[in-house]
Amino acid sequence: MSSSSADRASYAAREEEKAKLAEWDPEKNTLEPSEVAADPGKKPVGHSSKYLRKEDFDCIKTLGTGTFARVWLAKIANASSGTGVAAKKNNNGDTASGAGNNAANRVFALKILRKVDVIRLKQVEHVRNERNVLAAVAGHPFITTMIASFQDNDTLYMLLDYCPGGEVFSYLRRARRFNEQTSQFYAAEIVLILEFLHEKEGVAYRDLKPENILIDAEGHLKLVDFGFAKKIEDRETYTLCGTPEYLAPEVIRNTGHGMAVDWWAFGILIYEFLVGQPPFWDQNPMKIYEQIVEGKVRYPSAMSNDARDIIGGLCTVDVTKRLGNVKGGAATVKEHPWFRNIDWDAVYHRKMQGPIVPHLRSADDTRNFDDYDAEPVHRDPYTKELYSKYDHMFADF
Amino acid sequence: MSLPSDYRNEISALDREVKKQQPDDILQFCATFFQRRLESQRAEFRLSQRHANTPGMPASNFPGSNPFGNTAAAAGMASVAEEEEHDITSPTSASGPFSPTANNANPARNMDNNSSGGGGAFGNFGNFGFGAPASSRGQDPPASVSAGAMDHPQSFPSNYNMNRRTSVSAESLAPASADDANWKAPYYAKTPDQVARLRTAVSHNFLFSHLDDEQSAQVLGALQERKVPAKDVRVIEQGDAGDYFYVVEQGTFDIYVSSTGKAEAGPAGLGNKVATNGPGTSFGELALMYNAPRAATVVSTEPSVLWQLDRVTFRRIVMDSAFQRRRMYESFLEEVPLLKDLTSYERSKIADALETSKYPAGSTIITEGDVGDKFYMLESGEADAYKRGVDQPVKHYKKGDYFGELALLEDQPRAASVMSTSEVKVATLGKDGFQRLLGPVENIMRRDDPRKLEDSVDPLR
Ligand SMILES: Nc1ncnc2c1ncn2[C@@H]1O[C@H](COP(=O)(O)OP(=O)(O)OP(=O)(O)O)[C@@H](O)[C@H]1O
Repeated sequence: MSSSSADRASYAAREEEKAKLAEWDPEKNTLEPSEVAADPGKKPVGHSSKYLRKEDFDCIKTLGTGTFARVWLAKIANASSGTGVAAKKNNNGDTASGAGNNAANRVFALKILRKVDVIRLKQVEHVRNERNVLAAVAGHPFITTMIASFQDNDTLYMLLDYCPGGEVFSYLRRARRFNEQTSQFYAAEIVLILEFLHEKEGVAYRDLKPENILIDAEGHLKLVDFGFAKKIEDRETYTLCGTPEYLAPEVIRNTGHGMAVDWWAFGILIYEFLVGQPPFWDQNPMKIYEQIVEGKVRYPSAMSNDARDIIGGLCTVDVTKRLGNVKGGAATVKEHPWFRNIDWDAVYHRKMQGPIVPHLRSADDTRNFDDYDAEPVHRDPYTKELYSKYDHMFADF
Repeated sequence: MSLPSDYRNEISALDREVKKQQPDDILQFCATFFQRRLESQRAEFRLSQRHANTPGMPASNFPGSNPFGNTAAAAGMASVAEEEEHDITSPTSASGPFSPTANNANPARNMDNNSSGGGGAFGNFGNFGFGAPASSRGQDPPASVSAGAMDHPQSFPSNYNMNRRTSVSAESLAPASADDANWKAPYYAKTPDQVARLRTAVSHNFLFSHLDDEQSAQVLGALQERKVPAKDVRVIEQGDAGDYFYVVEQGTFDIYVSSTGKAEAGPAGLGNKVATNGPGTSFGELALMYNAPRAATVVSTEPSVLWQLDRVTFRRIVMDSAFQRRRMYESFLEEVPLLKDLTSYERSKIADALETSKYPAGSTIITEGDVGDKFYMLESGEADAYKRGVDQPVKHYKKGDYFGELALLEDQPRAASVMSTSEVKVATLGKDGFQRLLGPVENIMRRDDPRKLEDSVDPLR
């Protein structure tokens, strides 16, 4: 019967995909910037899969929740010995974390979004941007790799590399603040991310903060959550988005913004690394915004002059004077004296030892993640009406 | 071997303190300084140890050498106050959700903005220099603050909330979309008195004070009257979605905040009354930025009248005028031969550097012989160019024309004067701004044809 041979063909394709998933090893496969920027169709990662399904994964533990997404630690389901998947060996069993060497041990982070929530929260456009940007940047050493995306009737899935170190946020709050070298190390990796996003991809990230920066098994950073990332064509954009303490003045004033917002947020981030809290804060968000548009940063007296200077340059209200946005772009940030001791090429190729290397018992160790409440049982249904009105917008997910 | 950077940081911090305090007894001052630094660093170390055991945080697993500031070499920074017990339920958060009446209760905002960390002797080591009101600065003897920030948790800047922060976002606004190209801001007629009152009511709000005259007129026009027929009407309810901003025209409103974050059922469910707002006050301005749960409940105490404005209308007015102005600037820039090799991305970047100024009729905008550093584009009005020794204008300018663009190129004296013949509005582009963003104009012109220069006929030359 023809339908069953089609079934068999798609079963085979699905098994083959699962095997490929198990082979991708983020720590070994750092792509050069030009390779990352290549056509997504030609890269080993980042595609929209027609075959993968929820059932192909076992969701083990919630790693994090956002406003409408839930991210799970996931393993390939039924990948026990005897299946084609498990038989396929990953040829580098010796990664720093001692990651497993077959499909059964390979772990992922599976980000799950309900279409109905995405629609209710008016985030359809943002989710599409997120998938497309993640596909475009997959393979960058400091951006969480989206290995594949897929969907079913009412849900969207993004299969990501698992970053076992957890959020920089947790380390920062625990340590209260980072010393200068630690801050410089992390800031340097972030500069490379922004340089790549802005200058190779034309993408503004728009939600830089310690919560969105994870630490991988080797102690390097991975930027996650591209929900607000947007390709800026040749014109500014207006939708207000970000995190209150990190919003740039032009976003608050609604005068149109572009990639320069990331340099502002980068200044806030360095400040928060060094000080333990961002420079503009109040219990009342309107007061935060008032301080931001005024743009006067106050520094603790013991902060080094170079640190003050780079933060001040980045957190400049006038975008035509903001470090990173002026002529030369990211290069002007990299040349700043605060980064004097950074060997940029070594940073890109992950040659530097990270200041925090998570101690992991196994590839699926989740001790660096908080516990989250179980998913609510009640869920709004994705009705026929919603389906017919919106589903075409998810067509290429 | 060069000096360790942490040492240099300590020394420059000491330098700053010495400059500020100008102590007589230098040795004593320095000794005290380092003593304080040591104390605060020790305090910090204890703090970080305790934090490692904070419940709810993932298990600590720092590798052998802790990368953070608990070794002598790593303590480049000032210490902090111990404030986590006060994180969320702050006793000092008098700056309530409705800013017009709340004034500066947050100690951090009273501080000077001195980038060198402010005076107050050693106070700033205990608490970042944010802790004491500006008025008492500099009078504090060094010892009075000490590492004692540990004893004064409230003095830490605004009880910073240490929890994970959620992202916010507003509805997507796309000015170019065809379906609402004909969007016009709603307009509700008001008496001049009402307009004047509204203007005053919103004048202290930074969202409004940044608007230009046209935007501000549109925004005031879009405020819609809302009658509140009786007492005990809840205009907004804590925890609800927020879409409107309100100005009180008549009547008074009680404001309640419940510690649970939302209005509860039952007689005491609204929480504590924190304020009463009368005419000329406003509330709910956060709703003009994005949809966040209301931070308080507002209840009428009598039949009243409000003006209301919703977020999408407000943001559209501001966005549309910014958008149109940018497109106008870009179209100006497209017309200038000197700049015709700019990419559209570069043009949009340059639009950021343009400034608008206004001149009454009969003003001299540029003067022949002066060295120019700005290029002018006429947004509205008309002007004439004159050359010395010629009676008649040598050129007439109207909306969309530009002059003086060679000023971007080199420090050339202006070849003519330009006088406004009516009230004019010009957009100016400074050479500095241009060069900061894109480098010298010469390089841009050289992108394909070095002789471009000759094609760009400046009427002033
Ligand atoms: N690749 C990953 N590996 C490990 N943990 C992850 C990974 N991706 C996400 N997480 C965890 O899940 C959390 C939520 O993910 P993410 O920020 O992508 O969701 P979101 O719904 O878009 O969030 P938000 O609402 O904050 O924008 C992250 O902060 C992180 O703790």
